[in-house]
Amino acid sequence: MAGVASGEAACNSARQTGGVTDALAAELSAAMAPDRVRSGPLELTLYRRDASLLEGQPGVVCFPSTTDEVQAAVTIARRHGRAVVPRGSGTGLAGGAVPVGVDGAEPVVIVTTKMDRVLEIDADARVAWVQPGVLNLDLSRQVAHLGLHFAPDPSSQQSCSVGGNVANNSGGPHCLAYGVTSAHVLALEVVLPDGSLALLGDLDPEPPGYDLRGAFVGSEGTMGIAVRIAVRLSPDPPAVRTVLVDFASIETAASTVTGIIAAGLVPAALEMMDARITSAVEDYVHAGFPRDAAAVLLVELDGLPAGVEAATQIVADVAAANGARGVRVAADEAERALLWKGRKSAFGAIARIAPDYYLHDTVVPRTRLVEVLSEVYEIAARHRLLVVNVFHAGDGNLHPLLVFDRREPGVMARVLAAGTDMIAACVAVGGVLSGEHGIGLEKRDHMGLIFSDDDLDAQRRLRLAFDPEQACNPHKVLPSGSGCGDLQSVPAGAWI
Amino acid sequence: MRLAVADEDLSACVSCGLCLPHCPTYRVTGEESASPRGRIAAMRATHATDAPAGPEFAEFMDLCVQCRGCEVACPSSVPFGRLMEGARATLARETAYQPRRRRMGYAVLGHHRLLLLASSAAAVLQRLHLVPARLGLPRLPLRRPRLRPGDTAGPGGRPIGTAGPGGRPIGTAGPGGRPIGTAGPGGRPIGTAGVGGRPPEPDAWLFTGCVMDAWMRPTHAAALRVMHATGARVALPGPGGDCCGALHVHAGLRRQAEALARRVMASMPGDAHVVVDSAGCGAALKDYGALLGTAEARRFSDRVLDVHEWLAARAGRLPAARRRLTGPVAVQDPCHLRHVQQAHQHVRTVLAPYADLVELGDDGLCCGAGGAYAGIHPAMAQEIRARKVAAIAATGAPVVASANPGCIVHLAGAGLDVRHPVDIIAWSLDGG
Repeated sequence: MAGVASGEAACNSARQTGGVTDALAAELSAAMAPDRVRSGPLELTLYRRDASLLEGQPGVVCFPSTTDEVQAAVTIARRHGRAVVPRGSGTGLAGGAVPVGVDGAEPVVIVTTKMDRVLEIDADARVAWVQPGVLNLDLSRQVAHLGLHFAPDPSSQQSCSVGGNVANNSGGPHCLAYGVTSAHVLALEVVLPDGSLALLGDLDPEPPGYDLRGAFVGSEGTMGIAVRIAVRLSPDPPAVRTVLVDFASIETAASTVTGIIAAGLVPAALEMMDARITSAVEDYVHAGFPRDAAAVLLVELDGLPAGVEAATQIVADVAAANGARGVRVAADEAERALLWKGRKSAFGAIARIAPDYYLHDTVVPRTRLVEVLSEVYEIAARHRLLVVNVFHAGDGNLHPLLVFDRREPGVMARVLAAGTDMIAACVAVGGVLSGEHGIGLEKRDHMGLIFSDDDLDAQRRLRLAFDPEQACNPHKVLPSGSGCGDLQSVPAGAWI
Repeated sequence: MRLAVADEDLSACVSCGLCLPHCPTYRVTGEESASPRGRIAAMRATHATDAPAGPEFAEFMDLCVQCRGCEVACPSSVPFGRLMEGARATLARETAYQPRRRRMGYAVLGHHRLLLLASSAAAVLQRLHLVPARLGLPRLPLRRPRLRPGDTAGPGGRPIGTAGPGGRPIGTAGPGGRPIGTAGPGGRPIGTAGVGGRPPEPDAWLFTGCVMDAWMRPTHAAALRVMHATGARVALPGPGGDCCGALHVHAGLRRQAEALARRVMASMPGDAHVVVDSAGCGAALKDYGALLGTAEARRFSDRVLDVHEWLAARAGRLPAARRRLTGPVAVQDPCHLRHVQQAHQHVRTVLAPYADLVELGDDGLCCGAGGAYAGIHPAMAQEIRARKVAAIAATGAPVVASANPGCIVHLAGAGLDVRHPVDIIAWSLDGG
């Protein structure tokens, strides 16, 4: 780390931060270009939340551009007794990037958006080394001319960063066939919570020793900050077919999902949207989604042309046998892209229904989809709330969204209560808490529903091996003091 | 500080972040304060307190190019342009956001003779190397061609004209249907009278604007040439129809914008289409209904078409090319044509018979021109432009077509050969 501060840059910084007075900010400024450290009160409010509902409060926000600067930021923050909170694009849905500090001291938010370069592409080995701030879709676009892509495709893929994907072990529609992020990350260079650098994993497919790479992927920023990521690139399939199936009831759509998998197919993607969300996205994309359908399925089949042809027929047959109203096969790439744009815009289109949403991410056994879905609607009705469902039906990954207007008095309490009931209903049929969005802050206090104290303690000890002082993204994932069974609802410093 | 925005507009953002990659300043900085989501969060925080907005808020608002790429990217269709215009209007009214120097600059735009004089004077100074390059001005014209409003290409074409000052027709039709045209203010002919001294209704008006008329009048001549080739009778606006007020709206100077809008409406009476060859002006004219909130303004806005939109509906009447550019032409969509007017496909429809078109692979990301933006934030505008230049270079096309004067000047500043689509078509029609 070099203390560089040209006169012009320093002047710039004073303008943008409203004067660096705080010793912590001054030290961070000396360690990286001063205009990349911010402590202006309005700017800090912009980093109080991600795409979830909770809010915290950062003390300083900084934008390192190199590994050295990330190390310096972590070291300086720790020296000042501050926690660090890593942040990518801030599109997380579970509050993983919401800044919560320790001992009443506001944390240092380390934003990776300026580390946005693809460092190296090896087309033969189908591997790329990327910085954490590279956007998921930008990566796929940069390797498209090689006939390759990065398989994990969260709905926010145009905006979310690869670093964020690693932190949350993100999924996406196409992870049904291709697996979530962990299956596409070979190695990681990470800045550990003490500021040191470590390489986890290897380009070798079977590295010796413990799979620390596997432990880090999905650790939601509690074990350090990935600064260089070796991702696996997947070849584009030779043929792709996207089918939109239209149903008069949620039940027939759900039984079609079960039927397709039972017929021996593993589609590349198998997505469901209910009536309300289908209408909302149709208002945006005008892709011809049927507004009067109770549910639609979006099924994608890929592989060799003959196989795709046969699979499409099977999907159509299963759908017909289950009473589907219509089957539409996308005629060309433009139509296919438009259908996917609709699906991937779903969360963002919620404001067409109400200005706020609270989203769950539970996974249930596919065979129990029908009963769980009807229970989800019942729970919402019981709490006088609106729920919409848009989700990865193929792997039973539900995304019930409770939509509301937080300005309505008392509505938050009902939303949280309904959410708890939904999770309980999913867990009761053998489900789990999160498929792909992470636990973060929002789902943290539900961990006790599926893990015993012993389970939680084992996880806590793994975390402590990386972060003995619990200073890296504290209060996330594991309920605080999980060993002593002390579950506080929301940590001090965060509020809804 | 209460902002002049609707609470419903402000609450329509769910903070999903799908806008982020479509925002040119976020693409450059990666910072929330330079993103649509962050700007809305800053508006919310400011709107919710009684405290006056600080310099941080003004800075965040001012860095926005107002390209409105975020609006079309937003699945909830948050009206970001309206929010930003409201926030800036509040800042301009209640803070020192628009200093006197900038306000005077905007005021000059509405005084066309003064603007033309100033432009010509600056052109002379440029030739004498007395204008610093850091101002980023394009090479300004010393002379401007006369526009011939009444020309028609087809047989039986009848010259028509526009009312002169005070509704008095000036100029008369010459023999053979060719307009003589009397010079209006600033040496520009403002029309010829029709039969009986009362100008007949034209088929269309061509709006000429302020800076574009001063700097790029040959493009208006080309637009007239191409419009005439469809057999239409085209008129130019009467006095006062000079500046659309778009830059004033963007700067938060709403009162001035409203006054200019009323003048522009009065300068082109009747029911004929108002055709605009500047994407930024066209978007502003189409928004007069919302700006003034009157039935008359809404009726006027309904008459406004981008020149390519108007030509696309008459494409069958355009003659074939007599010559073609040798290399491909990269189509650069001006933001206010693509995101605001959503009329960018018409450029392709109209231009395709005259050139081999290639697309840019950047999802229509802004080029950084942004009206006065490139002058106010030159460093950011150039960083944004660098991405556009790279996207253009990736196509290998030697010529860029852009339907907005601001984009043309800004991109030409990077050494590119940028032409208005109507310039390409007129050149192609005229033959070698």
